[in-house]
Amino acid sequence: MTFLFYIFAALTLVGGIGVVVYKNPVSSAFAMILSFLGLAALFIQLDAYLVGILQILVYAGAIMVLFLFIIMLMDVKAEENKTFRGGAILGAILVMGGFAAALVKVLLDSRIGEGKLAPLAESEQSDVHAIGDLLFTQYWFPVQIVGVLLLVATVGVVVLSKKEMK
Amino acid sequence: MPVFYLEIIVVVLGLVMLMVDAFVKLEDKRHIAWIGVLGLICVFFLLFKVEWPTTTESTFWKFYDHEEGTRGFSLFYKGIAVLCTIIVLIMGAEFRGVIQKYIAPPEPGAHPQSGLGEFFALPVFACAGLMWMASASNLVSIFVALETVTITFYVLVAYMRRNVGSLEAGVKYLILGALSTGFLVYGFTWLFGITGSMDLAEIKTALASENVNVAAALFAFGLIIVGLGFKVGAAPFQLWIPDVYQGAPTPITAFLSVASKSAGFIVLLRIAGCFLSSAYLSEKIGAVLVVIAILTLLYGNLAALPQKNFKRLLAYSSIAHAGFLLMALASPPGKSGGLNSPAVVISFYLGAYLLMTLLAFLVMTAVRNTQEDESVDAYAGLARRSPFLAFALLIAMASLAGIPLTAGFFGKFFVFKLAFENGASWILIAAGIIGAAAGFYYYLKIVASMYWAEGDDEADSISVSIPSKVTMVLLMIGILVAGVVPNAILSLLG
Repeated sequence: MTFLFYIFAALTLVGGIGVVVYKNPVSSAFAMILSFLGLAALFIQLDAYLVGILQILVYAGAIMVLFLFIIMLMDVKAEENKTFRGGAILGAILVMGGFAAALVKVLLDSRIGEGKLAPLAESEQSDVHAIGDLLFTQYWFPVQIVGVLLLVATVGVVVLSKKEMK
Repeated sequence: MPVFYLEIIVVVLGLVMLMVDAFVKLEDKRHIAWIGVLGLICVFFLLFKVEWPTTTESTFWKFYDHEEGTRGFSLFYKGIAVLCTIIVLIMGAEFRGVIQKYIAPPEPGAHPQSGLGEFFALPVFACAGLMWMASASNLVSIFVALETVTITFYVLVAYMRRNVGSLEAGVKYLILGALSTGFLVYGFTWLFGITGSMDLAEIKTALASENVNVAAALFAFGLIIVGLGFKVGAAPFQLWIPDVYQGAPTPITAFLSVASKSAGFIVLLRIAGCFLSSAYLSEKIGAVLVVIAILTLLYGNLAALPQKNFKRLLAYSSIAHAGFLLMALASPPGKSGGLNSPAVVISFYLGAYLLMTLLAFLVMTAVRNTQEDESVDAYAGLARRSPFLAFALLIAMASLAGIPLTAGFFGKFFVFKLAFENGASWILIAAGIIGAAAGFYYYLKIVASMYWAEGDDEADSISVSIPSKVTMVLLMIGILVAGVVPNAILSLLG
């Protein structure tokens, strides 16, 4: 199983790097799908089937299709001719390097991984049941707030994208 | 009336406003704003009539703070959100001409003011989100309430979509806001990972226990402070503020700089409180906060000095005030509560900040209505064109600078008193003094220009609508009363 973990983790990372490195936005979007697929496989390895499937259905499926639609409406050629500036690359490497170093240090120093949590597969309910149950019993209040959030987002989209009359 | 009715009433009020906009034929869409203002005034008075629960068995209370000790704070911050929204709606009604000019022209046959109703309804939903933030006692409810507010702001900042400045501000705010939310959520997951709980009370106990994972807890705090530092405008996460504040419609700039900042601070107070109460973490977390406070104080105040645009100046001023608030947060808390606790000092400061900043923005809205120019020069000779507006701005600027007999003076005074008495580091105090001194220069520069500079005396006199005039008078009274009897605000904190 660890062998599979390394394969999918590598897939996720390669996809992530591809998103940044490719100049063509369409290639970037496809690299992102690759990254999401790797991530979904990692979730499924952890027995979190619902999260894994949602990762594919919602992110790799619906959201990426939306991304591609929008990219197609833009001028792809203009993006391709863009060159990275030296300063920006250096800054990105510094920030990311610092962040990665901090993360590695914290992971080495801390005792994370001496797991206390029971494996998901041993719970009595299927995880779809368990998540649904939690959302609508214990977490009903945040779910209601999310309802208001979606309403606001809908109103906002209508307002901002109304057709302009000439 | 049970306390959680408040937010429900506000959400229903927002829905009513949307429905009225859609189905009632109004000649003047400003009436929608008046519905909102009246409704929110009722909610404001209901704040004094709330009942707290006797049984807290429902899962709801896990997400909604109801501790004896913090009830006053929750209500105080809800009050700030409601008052701010009321004044933003009044400003929005005043500002409708400019908004109308920059949103898409109506389709033939549609209402000439179409697109304006939503501009009044959205802040009401944001108000509900801010009120939930004020009570959020769980990482999940903090996050969803925060996002409700932020997403509303993304829309409102870009509302004048035919204005390049507003669009640019909207895009910048959206991208940087999403990035900061990413940091915040990543921090929350680390916090959940080390404590095994989303509930702030349980997190507090877990962080105070001796087998707390110090490295991981510090990492979590680092990520969370990036996210929240962005929301409250703390350096080095403040880069978005000048551009976004300048580009956004003026009422929304006021909303951002007061309501969004105070809600960010109550969340920061609650989360930082969990870390600071742990004996194993407090020293290191305190050092981080001191560094951030010094950077914010120096950046906000010194970068404000050369500003020529009044709106941009107020943006830097909002960073500077975040610096003073962080200075209070970074000072070690005293043993006896009251004015010795950072939470009380910060809340008082935010109350004073609400009064003076909104007054400044109200005057700016009125001036902006008659002229395109937003630069400081536009205020030259304002005292001769409109003595009332000039006097209002004089009070606002005096209070922002912290001159005695104004609310702003006691705000700064309490911060410095707290820092001195509890032995904050001297670099922090020095940065605070430099900041306050610089503030005198750039705030009073405006006053000097209004009263003594040669202006365009031929320009039209500025008309101010009655609701704005009443609000300005009330805010001025508030500033002066709190500047003489600070207990007027302090007693609200319970």
